[in-house]
Order: sequence, then structure tokens, then C-alpha cells
Amino acid sequence: MATLDQKSPNVLLQSLCCRITGKSEAEVAHQFQYAVRVIGSNYAPTIERDEFLVSEKIKKELLKQRREADAALFSELHRKLQTQGVLKHRWSVLYLLLSLSEDPRKPSSRVGNYGALFAQALPRDAHSTPFYCTRPQSLALGYAERSTGLSASVGTSGISSLGVYTLNGPTPTQPPQSAAAQPLGSRLAWALPLSSSPSSALAPPTARPPLGPPVPATRVIRPRRDGDAAGEVSEAALVRDILYVFQGIDGKFIKMNAQDNCYKIDSKVVLCKSLRDTSSRLAELGWLHNKVRKYTDARSLDRAFGLVGQSFCASLHQELKEYYRLLSVLHSQLQVEDDQGVNMCTESSLTLRRLLVWMYDPKVRLKTLAALVDYCQGRKGGELASAVHAYGKTGDPQMRALVQHILSLVSHPILNFLYRWIYDGELEDTYHEFFVASDPNVKTDRLWHDKYSLRKSMIPSFITMDQARKVLLIGKSINFLHQVCHDRTPPGKITAASKSADTPKDAAELLSDLEGAFQEKIDAAYFDTSKYLLDVLNRNYLLLEHLQAMRRYLLLGQGDFIRHLMDLLKPELARPATTLYQHNLTGILETAVRATNAQYDNAEILKRLDVRLLEVSPGDTGWDVFSLDYHVDGPIATVFTRECMGHYLRVFNFLWRAKRMEYTLTDIWKGQMCNAKLLKTMPELSGVLHQCHILASEMVHFIHQMQYYITFEVLECSWDELWNKVQQAQDLDHIIAAHDVFLDTIISRCLLDNNSRSLLNQLRAIFDQIIEFQSAQDSLYRSALEELTLRLQYEEKKQQREEEGQWGVTAEQEAEEKRRVQEFQETIPKMRSQLRILTHFYQSIVQQFLVLLMTSSDESLRFLSFRLDFNEHYRAREPRLRASLGATRGRRMSNI
Amino acid sequence: MASAANANVNAVRETMDVLLEISRLLNTGLDMESLSICVRLCEQGINPEALSAVIKELRKASESLKASENCTN
Repeated sequence: MATLDQKSPNVLLQSLCCRITGKSEAEVAHQFQYAVRVIGSNYAPTIERDEFLVSEKIKKELLKQRREADAALFSELHRKLQTQGVLKHRWSVLYLLLSLSEDPRKPSSRVGNYGALFAQALPRDAHSTPFYCTRPQSLALGYAERSTGLSASVGTSGISSLGVYTLNGPTPTQPPQSAAAQPLGSRLAWALPLSSSPSSALAPPTARPPLGPPVPATRVIRPRRDGDAAGEVSEAALVRDILYVFQGIDGKFIKMNAQDNCYKIDSKVVLCKSLRDTSSRLAELGWLHNKVRKYTDARSLDRAFGLVGQSFCASLHQELKEYYRLLSVLHSQLQVEDDQGVNMCTESSLTLRRLLVWMYDPKVRLKTLAALVDYCQGRKGGELASAVHAYGKTGDPQMRALVQHILSLVSHPILNFLYRWIYDGELEDTYHEFFVASDPNVKTDRLWHDKYSLRKSMIPSFITMDQARKVLLIGKSINFLHQVCHDRTPPGKITAASKSADTPKDAAELLSDLEGAFQEKIDAAYFDTSKYLLDVLNRNYLLLEHLQAMRRYLLLGQGDFIRHLMDLLKPELARPATTLYQHNLTGILETAVRATNAQYDNAEILKRLDVRLLEVSPGDTGWDVFSLDYHVDGPIATVFTRECMGHYLRVFNFLWRAKRMEYTLTDIWKGQMCNAKLLKTMPELSGVLHQCHILASEMVHFIHQMQYYITFEVLECSWDELWNKVQQAQDLDHIIAAHDVFLDTIISRCLLDNNSRSLLNQLRAIFDQIIEFQSAQDSLYRSALEELTLRLQYEEKKQQREEEGQWGVTAEQEAEEKRRVQEFQETIPKMRSQLRILTHFYQSIVQQFLVLLMTSSDESLRFLSFRLDFNEHYRAREPRLRASLGATRGRRMSNI
Repeated sequence: MASAANANVNAVRETMDVLLEISRLLNTGLDMESLSICVRLCEQGINPEALSAVIKELRKASESLKASENCTN
């Protein structure tokens, strides 16, 4: 052989077998099969591929054997090998040589050392065979089987070699069976064999290759065999029965008792107690199996069970399949025994005890499954996942592993839903298993508020409420963007969709790290989507601008515009309401806009500003029906809903009235200032005028304080809060909530909500009084001025006539004049009394108002009462005020 | 070309000699042919642990076979 040519490993193996055993190919067939099996089941070496380590080991071995020269020689050779570089797997070769090496000094017999290539479930008893071979057996594998208890019968000295179990039917005639059952070696007993020493007089059984079945000449009947009295059921029969029961089929002796819901052994059967007990314990497995099977069968017929339920059933199926495989192995074992006839050595057969031990693990698993099935009855969707998750909280690692596995399968569809919802905004949930529910009846304008909701029962227990809400928000935002904002950016741009849960394995990974990776994913998607949504809203739809515009126009923020508007509207609105036309008013509005700073506003905003005429009740003047309006549509309408707009209009109404009062008083004051000088010449009026002035100042003070309160304490503070929150908002829900809070605060502080109705009525009454006072004062001034002009005229005439040289006045003219003056002066007391009544009335209303303010629950209103009554002017007059002050003080103290 | 092939062949032969030396040192009991088969198997990636187990088993089997034959004879 010149080169390392590429023959197939099988061929090489075969030639190796031939070579080592020195036999021809046909005879070594068996060994060859064995070799193939061994090699095939051990692909990967169990130790590390470290060439240096191996060479060191070799040197150490040589040194141990006191062969230093040889060790040096080996180093030389190793170095040469390395430089030559022909071999690719030097480590393999060296390791092989090391493991085949033998110490020439040692005696050849050694205790068998059972490296485990196959796991053993049962202990094996191994005895050394002092019978030697020239080569010590460092690893004894194989299928030599035990011959039973032959020590006595074979007369060699002190050799008690016991054969070995053949539990896997390694008979040459049935290799396929054994090959199939091989992978489950961990479940069945693989005792390691020890070679029967051939040189003992056990010769006859070992005439064939030791891998064949033994037919020892003498056999000891195992006394452990159940005392087979006649008529009693043999253990073998019981075992057969049990194997049927494991699958849920009634056996000959053990049947399902439907009433007690358990497996019972037929009472007619004669059995010893221990057997009965053992078989009852084993029958439990059958019961568990039935339970699980019933559930999966029932559910597979149920069409509305949903994806989660189906995956649950699938995982149960998987487990059952494993179970069935085990059963089939046991069956095959039974078959083997049957085939080999009755004279099979009994030690290697299946007994109930062995079954007990072997079925322990499967029993635990089935118990867990049955418990799961019980708990999950009637649940589906996210509930089912929660139920399974609850079962994962156990200390038993096996059970936990099993439940985790099932949980990963079960939660895989849920996670799929979740990812599609987060990244695409799509919800395809025919069986209502996901915790986000969509209401198909809702139209686009209510999409944000009503369309999507959380189905609380379906939230799996491994997803917190916070996460669920975030998830809902993310999907809602995406849908909102698509449908309402008409933004067609593919969701991939919005947030980098990370690898979604494509396989159950991904789901398992995710579940094991719920706080970390999962939360990160959700958070990332949440931030990105919300930010994008807010960007779109602010950029394309100018949400913040509209918010500010509301403030400026509807909440009378733009002072110059409002003032100018009022100036222009005053003559119009004084008319009765029925005569007003909207287009007139709109024209006036336009004029006002153009003339003030409002014209520099965004055209989009000005477009939406409009006049609205409220419903007309009889007797209304224009003042009562006028209102501004602001049109909203599209995405903005999500924040400014119809309710919100209603609130805004009410507040506007209130503010408009208050402003009107301010105007009225300004007019009154103007009139007073102008006419004071003129009327100085009529000293009889001074008392009346003085009264007027006083009343007017009171009213002015009151209105000022009210305006201050409204503008600064109510509007400005709330607006500041709102603006801060809106700037910091992370998603649309925050903005909507902040806006709602803002409106609520304003409404309650402006006395517009239900609790403050009495206060509002009082305030209205005060406003009415002011208007009445204005009209009273007007009439007073009119008549006074009239009188004044008449008197002036008279004086003038007198003057003129004197200049002409006539008598200034004739007697009758004078008399007339005097009479007129007299009449006039008589009207003065009337006016005075009128004014007094007015004042009195006004003050009483104000006092009542103050009383109400004092007892209100809102702090700022209480402070308002202090300001209104800063010098305790009203308190002095109103005993109730005094009392109530004290009372409320006391009450307030007690409240603290 | 031929020289390259020759060189290759020489290298291989040398390697095998070295390995045979080592094997003799370690007293593995492998003759040249078995050793070459083993080396080929290892080069093809067979797990050396399994292979050594197989070889030991085969030896044992052959020993027992021989012993039984001797007995019967």
C-alpha cells in the first residue's frame, strides 16, 4: 500500500476484522456487525483533541515503565511525524496507539473495567475471571450472556463466571430488532457482560461464538419464580396484561372499572398480595395514559380550539409517542422471550418488579401530563398558556423541563401573533386567542379609542400587564398610521423588526429570558413606533400647533384679536338673536383676523376658525348665542374628540361672558370719567353720582379678581402643565390623557361642572346685575345730560338775550325753568333709591357668592374668596360670612 | 509530476515507518497492515476511542475462539 487511498470505512473495517481475528470474511460477519454498531453509535470522541496531551501521556506511560530511552525515542519520532505533515488526524492515530498499548511487564489478567458505552439501568455483578487471556481485557463489551448459576455444575476451580444478560435480543437471527431497540438503551438494562471463560468446562455452551444465545446444559430453576401453584396466574401472563393496560386496553385480568374510574384486577383471579399490589401500581400508568389520550382525542375534533390548543395537543402527542415507543420496546422484549421458548433463562425476562423500576420515569412524566390536562380543561388561547406556565413553577427539574418544553410549543403561536401585531399591525386571530381584540364595527374616526382593546383573560401569565398594554399601543399606533394618517411607510422602516419567533426553539429561548430580551424587544418597538407616530402627527398634521390655536382662539389667549372682535361685534350682538346672520358675523370675524396679529398665523389654523350660532331661545340677544368654533378632522379629531370640542365651547362661552362684563364695566367707567366733569355743575346729582361710582368700583374690583383668577390660576397653570406633558409625551395615549386632564381641570375650576352649579348661578346673577347697573347708569346719565343740556341751553338763551339787550329771562321762563329743575330734582331721589336697591341687591348676591366660595372644596376658589373680600368689606355686613368663616375655619382645621 | 508523486509516496512511506516504530514502542501488537488500516480509518474521521474498543473486542473474541478451538481439539 503506497498511499492512504480512499476505501470506504466499511470495507476497511471488514478487512481489519479479518486481519485481527485471522478468519475469513464470512466467519467474521458477526464481529463486523458489532464493530459497525459500536463505531456508528460513537461518533464524537468524549475527550478533547489535544495532540500535545496525548503525546505527554504516552511519554508518561513509557517513563512509568522505566523506559526512558524509549520515551526519548518516542519524542524523536513524534517530532518527525509532525514535520512530515502527511497525516491529518495525528491526534486520532496517537490516541488509538496509546489506548492499544500494553505494558509488557504486567500480568495479563485484569479486572474488567466497564467503560460505559451503553448506560446501565440495573446493577451488574461482575466477577473477575482469573482465567487469563494474553491480552488483558481493558474494555469488555459484547453480548456474552450469562449462563445461569453454573458454578457448581462446572467443575473448574473457583471459576464462577457468570454470563450476562441478553436483554436486547442480540441473537444473530434477530439483528434488526436489536438495532431498532438500541437507542432506548438507557431505559433498559444493559448489564455489561463479562466474557465467560472459555477454557472452563463450560465449553459446550460456548462452542459457538459467545455472542450467541447460551444453552447451558444445566440450568437452575430460579427459586424466585412466583410460587406457581396451579390455577394462579403466572407473572408472565400478568406482565402481558400490564403491557396492554399501559396502552389503555383492558387486559385479561386487569380491567377498567368505570364506576371507580380505575383499573381493577378481576377479583376472581387468584393472585398473591405482592403481585396484586405491584400490578395495581403499574395499572396507574394506564389510567394516566387514558386521561391524556382522551383529552387529545376530544380536542382534535374540536374545530374551534385554536392554534394554542392545537400546539398543546401536538406536544402531548409527542410525549405519548415516546411513551408508545417505550411500550413497543417492552413488547418486543416480550416477543423475544416468547420466541425463545419456555426454556429461556428466567432472569432475563420481564417481571413486574423490573417494570416498576423501568416505568418510574415515564410514570412521573405521565403524571405531569395528566395534571396539566386536568388543569387545562376548557381553556384555550392565552389562558391555556397561563395554565401551563403556572405548572412550570416547580422544584422538580424533570417536571420543570417537561413543562418548559410544552410551554415553548404552546406559546409559539401566541408569540407569533404578538410579533405580527407589533411589527405589522396585523391581527389574524380567528379563534380569539390573542389578548388584543379588534372590534370590526368601529369606524376609522374612533379607531384610536374604541377599536382595539385588551382581552384580559387571554393575557398569558408570563406577560405582564404593562407589557400587554404596550403591545396594544404599538399595534394600535401602526394601524392608526395606516388608516387615519394615511401613512404608508412600511412597518419595517419604523422599527427594525428583529428576528421573530419562527420556531418553537426561538420561543423557548425567549421564554427563558422574559425580562431581558422580550422586554427589550417590546420596548424598542414601542419607542420607535410611538416616536414615529408623534412625528407624523406633529409634522404632517400640526397637532401641537392646533393645540396652541385652541388656546389662542377658543380660550381667548390672543388678546388683541379678541378685543378687536368684541369691539366690532358689540353693535351687532346687542340686537335680538333672531336677527343675526352667520355670514355677517363671519365677515366681521375675517375683518378682526386681518386687522390683528392673528393674520400671521398658519393658514391651516385660520381656515378652521369659524363662527357658530347657538340655539336661540326667545328673548335672547346676540350675546347669548354667539360662539367661535374650530373645525377638526382626521387624526387631530382623535385628540380633540367631539366631547372635547363641546367642553371647549362651554369654556369659551363662560370666558366670553366674563370678558363682556369687563367690557361693560369699561364702558361704565368711561362714561363716569367723561361725565363727571360735565355734571359737576349740578350739585344735586353729586350724591347719586357718588353712589354710582362706588358701585361701579365694587363691580370693577370683583370682575378684575374673577378675570385674574380665570386667566392666571386656571388657564395659565393648566396650560403650562399640559404643554410640559405634551412635550414629554412618549405616545399618543399620553397626549390624550394629558389633554383630558387639562379640560377637566379647566371645567371644574371655571365652575362649569355639575358640582359648582350653584356657584355658577350666583356668578350669572352677578353678571346680570352688572348689566342692569349699566342700563340704570345709562338712563341716569341720559336724563342728567339732558337736563344739563337744557340748562345750558337756557343759560345760553339768557346770555344771548342779554346781549341783545333784552331781559335775560322773563318771569314765566324763569318760572318754567324752575319748575323743570324742580321736576328734575324730584326724580333724583327716585334714582337714588333705585341705585340703592341695585347696590343692595348686588352686594347680597356677592355675599352669597362668597359664602359659597368659602365652603367649596377647591382650594383656589377659597383663595379667590379671600381676594374678593380682601378688606373684609362684605364680611362686616354679612353675619353668615363671619359665622361661616369661623365655621369653615374650624372645619378646615379639623380636616387637617 | 512523477517526481512529485514519488515524493508523496516516499513521504507516506516514511510516515508509516514512523508510526510503526511508535506502535512497536508502545507494544500495541499491531502489524503493518492492521496499522495501515487503522490509520486510514482514523484519517477518515472515525472516533479513535470507538475504534480501539472494537479492536480490543475483536482480539478478545479471537482469543476466546482460539482457546475454544484448542479446547475442542
